[in-house]
Amino acid sequence: MKIIKLDNVSFYYKAYNEDGTVGRAMGVEDVTLSIEEGSFVALVGHNGCGKSTLAKLLNALLLPVTGTVTVCGLDSSKKENLFEIRKNIGMVFQNPDNQMVASIVEEDVAFGPENLGVAQPEIAERVYEALDQVGMRDFAKNSPHKLSGGQKQRIAIAGALAIRPKVLVLDESTAMLDPLGRREVLEVAHKLNKQGMTVILITHFMEEVLDCDSVVVMNGGRVVAQGTPNEIFDNKQLLDEVGLKAPRTVELASKLCAAGFDVDAHCRDARKLGGDVCQELREKVK
Amino acid sequence: MFRDVTFGQYYLADSFVHKMDARVKLLLTLLFMVGIFFVKSFVVFGFVAVYLLTVILIARVPLRSVFKSIKGIIVLLVLTAVINILFTKGANDAEQPLWSWSPWNGFTIEIYANGLIKAGKLFLRLVMLVMGSSILTLTTTPVDLTHAVESLLKPLRIIRFPVHEFALIMSLTLSFIPSLIEETDRIIRAQKARGADFDTGGLVKRAKAFVPILIPLLVGGFRRAEELANAMNSRCYEGATKRTCMRVMKLSWRDFVAGFVAVAFFTGVFLLYGMAKKWGDITWLYY
Repeated sequence: MKIIKLDNVSFYYKAYNEDGTVGRAMGVEDVTLSIEEGSFVALVGHNGCGKSTLAKLLNALLLPVTGTVTVCGLDSSKKENLFEIRKNIGMVFQNPDNQMVASIVEEDVAFGPENLGVAQPEIAERVYEALDQVGMRDFAKNSPHKLSGGQKQRIAIAGALAIRPKVLVLDESTAMLDPLGRREVLEVAHKLNKQGMTVILITHFMEEVLDCDSVVVMNGGRVVAQGTPNEIFDNKQLLDEVGLKAPRTVELASKLCAAGFDVDAHCRDARKLGGDVCQELREKVK
Repeated sequence: MFRDVTFGQYYLADSFVHKMDARVKLLLTLLFMVGIFFVKSFVVFGFVAVYLLTVILIARVPLRSVFKSIKGIIVLLVLTAVINILFTKGANDAEQPLWSWSPWNGFTIEIYANGLIKAGKLFLRLVMLVMGSSILTLTTTPVDLTHAVESLLKPLRIIRFPVHEFALIMSLTLSFIPSLIEETDRIIRAQKARGADFDTGGLVKRAKAFVPILIPLLVGGFRRAEELANAMNSRCYEGATKRTCMRVMKLSWRDFVAGFVAVAFFTGVFLLYGMAKKWGDITWLYY
């Protein structure tokens, strides 16, 4: 089932021209996209390509100028659907500090269910369940600003999970984190996906794309390609055009392959790749 | 530069006072603050001091941190004491000044015993006021305090006072102070790296040097506010309508005991005040 459908969606920001007149700056243009329930989709593109605008269109923070966004069968442009749509889409943004509404972890996570009007005993239950899912239960009584970036972002994910959404959108949630923090967040995202959550990962780190079901590449506000990670990595011309690069290991593997080595052209594991090459060289020497 | 700014002065301990309901603590602190203005004699000040000390002991907060709170009002204390000593005349015409000095004709400085007494009482009153309220902030986290304010202001909803929004603003402010301090610190370092000079020159020059800090801070503040608004909207925030709250505040036996003791004590204070008013000649009530 398609959980999210975008039909010919365009969105423009208001911008001021040099002579002071109001013009428009492009956000996204003519995007048609659908996302399968339970899938793990990556949305990639370099800065300013419209990824974040697209994310905000998904939960009606922005409404399309033309076209329709349908979430779980609900049209986002109808005001009465707003609450229901946001209940179904958990959103985590880039800067963990700017998403914290309370100065205690558990109260921050409780913000969502409190807004939904969930009864008091169930709020605590949801909060601890969400904290368990991201592995942060031990920090429930802590103050978020003393945690690491990865931990803060996991709290933000817990905050989204406490609403019990069907889709989790990570809008560049790993961009401000160190490699360790990024790994923490990605592990949580993949774990949730295995439990049935639809995950939309917006990123410009191609390494994060490796384990996704499908990749959507954006450039200049348009969707320019969609496919499995391997299909995207193989399309060198496309990657050059949009200013992205396949992960180093994959790139090396494909170059080795082109140079006549008998290795998997899509190898993701640097260690395995190294092993294979050594093996082959050893055999050649013999 | 701002690293040692600590907001709130919560002192972590496991005590009777810490476990009390924040609403009760807030109300009793208000009672204390009002009550202290009904203390007119040194004897009663003695009673209040004993009361205060007992509370401090029960709260297991170090005396030092309670006294530290007075540091902030030292200037005020000295100023009010000096003004009271210099400008209070005798209690009646018969009272002779203890000391007088006339630097030039038509201008005399006279110090009366009455002025000293008045200054002393005011001093005690201010010191106890600040100490009393610092016990509240030492034993209650800012978060609890916010919840207490929200809960106590609830009746104001009848006159359409936005109680929930007010409490939310308080709690957002609290949670953003650390990151704003961090950001200020970062901007200062960035400007220093570009050769900005904050430490030399006169007052005006130094004040001007802060403009390049304030502008990025303000711009950053707006950006943060927008991101926060988006994050709140994404989490289904729709204002106070039908909102529930995870935290339940329950009164326990502690609150009843403390409330009873405090109310009894201050009833005593008010009674003594009334007696002093009625029979002004009972000297121990007056001095």
